[in-house]
Amino acid sequence: MPLQTRAEVFEQIFIIFLGLGTLVGIIVVSYTLYNAYKYRDSEGPTDDEDVPTLGELPTGGKGGKKLFVSFGLSAIIVLGLVLWTYTWLIYVETGPEGDNPGEDALEVDVEGQAFSWTFAYENGVETSSADQGMVVPEDTAIWVNVTSTDVWHAFGIPEQRVKADAIPGESDVTWFATDPLEEGDGDQVVYEDGIECFELCGAGHSNMKSDITVMEEEAFEEWLAEEEAAMEEEEEEDEAEDDANGDEDDDANDEGGDA
Amino acid sequence: MADDFPPMTSIKRWLVTTNHKDVGILYLVTAMFFLLFGGILALLFRVQLWSSGYSILSDSGFNQSVSMHGLLMVFWFLSPIASGFANYLVPLQIGAKDLAFPRLNALSYWLYLFSGILIGISFFQGGTFAGGWTMYAPLNVPMYTPAIEATTGGNATILALTMFVVSITLGTVNFLTTIHRSRAEGMGLWNMPLFTWSWLLTVWMMLFAFAALLAALLLLATDRILLTQYFATDQGSSLLWAHIFWFFGHPEVYIVFFPALGIMFETFQTFTGRRLVGRKWVIIAMVLVAVQSFLVWMHHMFLTTINLEIKTLFMATTIGISLPFDLMVFALIYTMVKGRVRFTTPFLFSLGALVLFILGGITGVFLGAVVLDYEFRGTYWVVAHFHYVMVSGVTALVAGLYYWWPKISGKMYNETLGKIHFAVYFVGFNLLYFPMFLAWDTPRRVFHYQEGMEIWHQMATVGAFVFGFSFLIMFYTFGKSLVSGPDAPDNPWEFARTAEWAIPSPPPLENWPGRPSYRSGHLEFVDDAAEAAAATDGGTATGTDLARADHGHGHELDTHEHEEEHADHASIWPLGIGLGVFVLFVGLGGMTSSVAALIESLDPAYAEAAGLDGEFSYLYSGITLLGLAILTYVLFQFGLEEFNAPEMAIAERWPFENVGNTKLGVWIFLASDVVVFGAAIGAYVFMRIYAGWHTWGPVPDHTWAGLLNTYILLTSSFTVILALVMAERGNKKGLLATLGATLVLGLTFMGVKTWEWSDKFAQEDFWFSGIEYSLYYVTTGLHGLHVLLGLFLASFMIFRIVTIDAYLEDSRPVEFFGLYWHFVDIVWVILFPLFYLM
Ligand SMILES: [Cu+2]
Ligand SMILES: [Cu+2]
Repeated sequence: MPLQTRAEVFEQIFIIFLGLGTLVGIIVVSYTLYNAYKYRDSEGPTDDEDVPTLGELPTGGKGGKKLFVSFGLSAIIVLGLVLWTYTWLIYVETGPEGDNPGEDALEVDVEGQAFSWTFAYENGVETSSADQGMVVPEDTAIWVNVTSTDVWHAFGIPEQRVKADAIPGESDVTWFATDPLEEGDGDQVVYEDGIECFELCGAGHSNMKSDITVMEEEAFEEWLAEEEAAMEEEEEEDEAEDDANGDEDDDANDEGGDA
Repeated sequence: MADDFPPMTSIKRWLVTTNHKDVGILYLVTAMFFLLFGGILALLFRVQLWSSGYSILSDSGFNQSVSMHGLLMVFWFLSPIASGFANYLVPLQIGAKDLAFPRLNALSYWLYLFSGILIGISFFQGGTFAGGWTMYAPLNVPMYTPAIEATTGGNATILALTMFVVSITLGTVNFLTTIHRSRAEGMGLWNMPLFTWSWLLTVWMMLFAFAALLAALLLLATDRILLTQYFATDQGSSLLWAHIFWFFGHPEVYIVFFPALGIMFETFQTFTGRRLVGRKWVIIAMVLVAVQSFLVWMHHMFLTTINLEIKTLFMATTIGISLPFDLMVFALIYTMVKGRVRFTTPFLFSLGALVLFILGGITGVFLGAVVLDYEFRGTYWVVAHFHYVMVSGVTALVAGLYYWWPKISGKMYNETLGKIHFAVYFVGFNLLYFPMFLAWDTPRRVFHYQEGMEIWHQMATVGAFVFGFSFLIMFYTFGKSLVSGPDAPDNPWEFARTAEWAIPSPPPLENWPGRPSYRSGHLEFVDDAAEAAAATDGGTATGTDLARADHGHGHELDTHEHEEEHADHASIWPLGIGLGVFVLFVGLGGMTSSVAALIESLDPAYAEAAGLDGEFSYLYSGITLLGLAILTYVLFQFGLEEFNAPEMAIAERWPFENVGNTKLGVWIFLASDVVVFGAAIGAYVFMRIYAGWHTWGPVPDHTWAGLLNTYILLTSSFTVILALVMAERGNKKGLLATLGATLVLGLTFMGVKTWEWSDKFAQEDFWFSGIEYSLYYVTTGLHGLHVLLGLFLASFMIFRIVTIDAYLEDSRPVEFFGLYWHFVDIVWVILFPLFYLM
């Protein structure tokens, strides 16, 4: 069975809510306006003897039964809808493969900092919003483990209908699933600024975005291996430099390691 | 009437007045000013949103605009305008002459006004607060603000909000006492008009919700000024803030909406000529909402790391709290049925408010479904939804302005202009907020958005200007009415029921032509003197006597004296206290760099690691001292002033028949203080559990010192009880001795505390040294401040006993002081084990 993506789950629920919401809205608002118009004051004499008078102690008007019928009806709609979505909440919370990251899932550590995102993959490779952004394979469940190194951010990919608060000291875990690439997509699709920050985090908040690239499976594996090799090369160079420069860089590395 | 009370045309009147109608007008006018202020900020960022990345404001300027727009509208506009209506109308609707504590009421207003001025100043102190109206941690602490100078404006904002919350708290104490103790004879709680009902529930919610916010703001202020660490760590700070803030924040939604709802109930009944359908159930629904509003806050945190069980629980409570509103909406709709609906301006606005609220409610159900909420979080869906709800409330408040305008101003307005206003308003509203649903994928508070959204944002910006323009029509309509409108009759609206319409427009200073009473089931004005004369003449015992025996508990004898009693309406000291607090807070707001300098000298290593680099500020230190001096002087004068606010001789007081006004006020105030301490202690427990309870031991070294202080305070509670006994016996020496002993014991407590702290400082454990130290110093410090305040009160009382033999005839102030003092002791009994033993 193909994965039910977050986007699909969201669309299903959203459409139903939108449809019912519009319907209920139109009915209730029209009924309200209809009543206002129908019972508009016509100058003629009134047959209703029981009109409110100035200085009376307040009491209620007639028509309580209708009130409870309408109330009950609205309660049933709301409760029904929300209970129905609860099964989907369980699905979203446990993940597409039953329980937590499955074997084929990809896990990415996402870190927000003012005002960029970094993405760390299982083999130690790191990318950031300053370079190519997040890179993920097609047709895969991707688990993100989101945190922040400074203030509260919120990590979100609108296209994938996934979002997680990035809170310092907390790790917020959630998932999304990529669709298979379509013919004509080539071996990758880049969503420019596909990742946005959804919590006000300071002056640069408005522009705290990152690209996200969905790659064909093999291309992704290749890319990951290449990055790993590049990273190792760089590390060797760093070490060589360290030997020459003393321990200045060590401090920097330590700080990075803490987070 | 007081002869020395200046007329309404004199400026002095408005500076000294304590009359509820005057204060109501002051609130209404000031709130309109802040509506303009917040509105102009909104127009600024709507212009910036014209196209993605378009820029007329700096990045920080944009954030400041959205943050202050939210803060000003929610705090400085919505609650105060409702407060204005309540000030003017609640006493009229329940048949009172004024609020229970008129001077306190004026003080609420002046604190509100000065807090607003402080906000205005904050813009010029290196930029105002820019972290959003939700003030999420840790962006709300100075560490994440670029330069330490820039913190002054942010500090001013936080302190202004603190001042505002104090104003609200005083107001709630006042209104709760008034509504519970000053209802006209025959008006039980059930019989109160719905606007008064909605306001009663509003102030009950305010009492507890704003106390939690006050605690949060106090902790935030210590973080920002004294550089403690409550909201600065990555060990639970963010969640701590979110919990306390939303514990306040959700009830706040109803706090701003309930008064609007009350206005809708009133206007619907008047302009449909029908009584509210299901009135009893509507009241029950509102009570349910008020209680439950404190149990839904985590729905604002669905996307944080709280677990599924808690999410489920809060999803259930959230859905639960939406249902009573369905009932209220249907009650309004069915009230029109078989009515005589007259489309006056206030009715049009109320009907508009109902329609907008229905749309806001439906879009809110979307957010109740957690899976949808995950995706809506932080987007324009939320923005659009809560503007539909909140500004539907504004729409009803505008209805209230038109509805009560003739009563307050004594002039009629032009209906045609009013209807034009409504048309422009309604079109502008929907043009402004509806496109936000269509552009819902846009993240909040950004000005770089996806290209496809541009058309919606442009529509919204156009709508914003139309909407803003509609308010100019309103001001013109009211201005024209004031200048050339025809005089308003007592009751311009057919089928109005409530008491404010039974007296002249505008009402006279003392409101009523006699004592308002509903004992016959209908409002009448009783002349007590004439009736009493008739009774003693041997006239037949009428229902009057029965009613009195039922309701007038022990007050019969006073009736005559009270009739003659002169009520004061003027005091300058509330204004003085407002000014004193204002100056003090301006000074405190600039103290961060001085504290940073202090920390550099205390602990250079810490200061360097934390990047603290401050200079001692003579300017702000001077302003702080000046503020303290002013405040001391005016508080002293406030205490000395003779101010007579007579209690109503005959009133409905359920369920507080046997408590005096002031005592009830003290109890209510202490109830809010319980929540303040509850939140502070809750913060300690939360942070300690987060860290792992046994990660820290007790911070103080000497358990015996804490134990000693416990004994000292308990002994002082005993001496206060003795003081009351002495006062009741009229024993001046005994009273002086026992109050003196209390003072000495309190001072000893503070002495031991000072020794403990200096001992800790000597070991270089400072309030900024770590979160466990911040928690210890701030929580016990907050208690210490309460002790200090108690000592000032005790000293003042001793001064009064020595100078004018006070309290020997009326011992009640000693009793009230005792209540406060016992409360402070009880808090210590809780703090001692928490901080010394566990
Ligand atoms: Cu952000
Ligand atoms: Cu809420």
